[in-house]
Amino acid sequence: MPAIHSSLSFYMKPLFLSNSSLFPRKFTVPKEYLLNPRSLCALSSASNQNGGRSGARSLSPSPVSDDLQKIDVNPPKGTRDFPPEDMRLRNWLFHNFQEVSRLFGFEEVDFPVLESEALFIRKAGEEIRDQLYCFEDRGNRRVALRPELTPSLARLVIQKGKSVSLPLKWFAVGQCWRYERMTRGRRREHYQWNMDIIGVPAVTAEAELISSIITFFKRIGITASDVGFRISSRKVLQEVLRCHSIPEHLFGKVCIIIDKIEKLPLDVIKNDLKSAGMSEAAIEELLRVLSIKSLTELEGWF
Amino acid sequence: MPAIHSSLSFYMKPLFLSNSSLFPRKFTVPKEYLLNPRSLCALSSASNQNGGRSGARSLSPSPVSDDLQKIDVNPPKGTRDFPPEDMRLRNWLFHNFQEVSRLFGFEEVDFPVLESEALFIRKAGEEIRDQLYCFEDRGNRRVALRPELTPSLARLVIQKGKSVSLPLKWFAVGQCWRYERMTRGRRREHYQWNMDIIGVPAVTAEAELISSIITFFKRIGITASDVGFRISSRKVLQEVLRCHSIPEHLFGKVCIIIDKIEKLPLDVIKNDLKSAGMSEAAIEELLRVLSIKSLTELEEILGGAGEAVADLKLLFSLAEKFGYSDWIQFDASVVRGLAYYTGIVFECFDRDGKLRAICGGGRYDQLLSTFGGDDIPACGFGFGDAVILELLKEKGLLPPLNHQVENIVCALDHNLQGAASMVATTLRGKGQSVDLVLESKPLKWVFKRAARINAQRLILVGTTEWQKGMVGVKILSSGEQYEIKLDELE
Repeated sequence: MPAIHSSLSFYMKPLFLSNSSLFPRKFTVPKEYLLNPRSLCALSSASNQNGGRSGARSLSPSPVSDDLQKIDVNPPKGTRDFPPEDMRLRNWLFHNFQEVSRLFGFEEVDFPVLESEALFIRKAGEEIRDQLYCFEDRGNRRVALRPELTPSLARLVIQKGKSVSLPLKWFAVGQCWRYERMTRGRRREHYQWNMDIIGVPAVTAEAELISSIITFFKRIGITASDVGFRISSRKVLQEVLRCHSIPEHLFGKVCIIIDKIEKLPLDVIKNDLKSAGMSEAAIEELLRVLSIKSLTELEGWF
Repeated sequence: MPAIHSSLSFYMKPLFLSNSSLFPRKFTVPKEYLLNPRSLCALSSASNQNGGRSGARSLSPSPVSDDLQKIDVNPPKGTRDFPPEDMRLRNWLFHNFQEVSRLFGFEEVDFPVLESEALFIRKAGEEIRDQLYCFEDRGNRRVALRPELTPSLARLVIQKGKSVSLPLKWFAVGQCWRYERMTRGRRREHYQWNMDIIGVPAVTAEAELISSIITFFKRIGITASDVGFRISSRKVLQEVLRCHSIPEHLFGKVCIIIDKIEKLPLDVIKNDLKSAGMSEAAIEELLRVLSIKSLTELEEILGGAGEAVADLKLLFSLAEKFGYSDWIQFDASVVRGLAYYTGIVFECFDRDGKLRAICGGGRYDQLLSTFGGDDIPACGFGFGDAVILELLKEKGLLPPLNHQVENIVCALDHNLQGAASMVATTLRGKGQSVDLVLESKPLKWVFKRAARINAQRLILVGTTEWQKGMVGVKILSSGEQYEIKLDELE
């Protein structure tokens, strides 16, 4: 057999671990490794690990030349591989995203998946911030794998300055990341289709965006009986807070608290709002307004 | 002005820094910020920074509520944004990658850009390892942004095990990263097209791969007079080393040293080879063999019995049948810089000699066992997005790509905005792209926009016409104008 085989084996003798019950296949270490005198001592301890799940056993690479690597065939926790069948589905989905964007006259853009951490630091208590996948790069700069695409878009729009004519209609399909404790079994990455209209103050822009999503749904066979859009405006909360003379700087925080109304018990929400500086009266009114389900009623309230 | 504006401004008062001389635009801090009492102290020191380049001045965010962030409008060092014009070019390039892959019957795959660092640790002294973009994640795991796609591919092949039938013909287009000191002004990321054939031990696989690259070149207008392939085999060096009883474990290291033969002075190469354990005689013979430029001469030196010569002869004869002999040449000095190649290796170069390698690849029959799987013969190539575009630019072959929307729809009266939306929806339902004008704009503005988006038709929704259920259509290339019923509009 080719000479290279054992030379590579000297560099790296990985123990292969399959951490998932979906992969029953056992990987035996080829006999040549076991008989190689250089690696005999390292491998004899490893030979018990052939095939079985042995996550607990750890082999640190020795500082000199013998390397025993533990290679997991699975992608990193919370991430996905796309073998052909999954890739076909993804391409189909993305093609539909792009086709709808094209029908609406949008232009595609893209930005780096890695951005400066500063782009995502907003002290409003958002979940997106708690779960930011940030780290220090080799030059000690604080960077992050983007959790969303909008800040990058904003950065690019500013960068372009007066060289672009408004309105801009840009779309992107990019991978976004979050760091979440894996005990919850959730994904750490996903792809996100974004469409943004820059430079139009009127709600005709929002109407156009919603139209594009509905066009997408129709294309793939989803109807109004399958899904629906719930729509409101931050200005509603704003007006309530203003009526109660709540300082404007608390606005963002209040919104984030309110957003959790389905996930946290009502008294926790009320407490958080109190801590945020709202009076009991203001809280009561806010919660009442939030329960409104008709525009007529909303109009009557104001 | 909306209340939200100042509340958001309280959270984040970015100072926009433009670190590049390409961006002369100054960003002034809106007056509202300056008048906001809460932020006055923080901003007064910042106000001097309006617009000018002030990279040295640093404002740390205070721990409580006032946040002053220094936001650089440029992407991180060594990375690129893709504004629309660049994105069109990228999409064009990737489309060609995918189309050629399709013509050759390959299936697309993808893997995470982030992998465990262990996947890339090979102690052969490869440059790819020195420049690994690795870090510790929040859970203290050592991970890396992948420098190449092949190890992920190998990992996925092993994962699939017996559930896939060989041979596998897989391709991917993915972003790869390296960490390099920015003083060299080089990129830290690029996209790479990879095509790999898993499960075919014969050089027919390499011949097929090279054929696919040539098909790609032809598609985009590159000819055999623009580029060429230098081809050799790792088995050549193997045979020389074996003749001199050089231990097999030194093989990978020797290849990496030899790969730098164009970049380092010859005595440095010789010294490195000596340190790697080679005798002077072995080094001399190796260097002599590496200078061979004809298969005939190689056969004379190595003899006809070895695999190196046999593989290469077969490959060259297949190339002749494929019809691409004038694209390729034998060159014993080609080894390529990855430790895991075991057989045929090749690289594509520009004949004018101005650019770096356009693409490279080879056979890697023992990679899977290094990951703990059973060895399966494999070969593939990587083709980056940077050099090819430089080449196209040099040759004047960059395609003209403009943003094109078929229709621009405009309401002539703001009461007809809803009607305009209906028109837009109708056309889109028929597969026509539409840029809908979302605000009341003068016609002059609309025409300007129509020209910018290269619209074919301008659809005008006017009161009189709409009352009759009709819209005005203007063909922008000819100036022809007519009215038509909405349901007749194609």
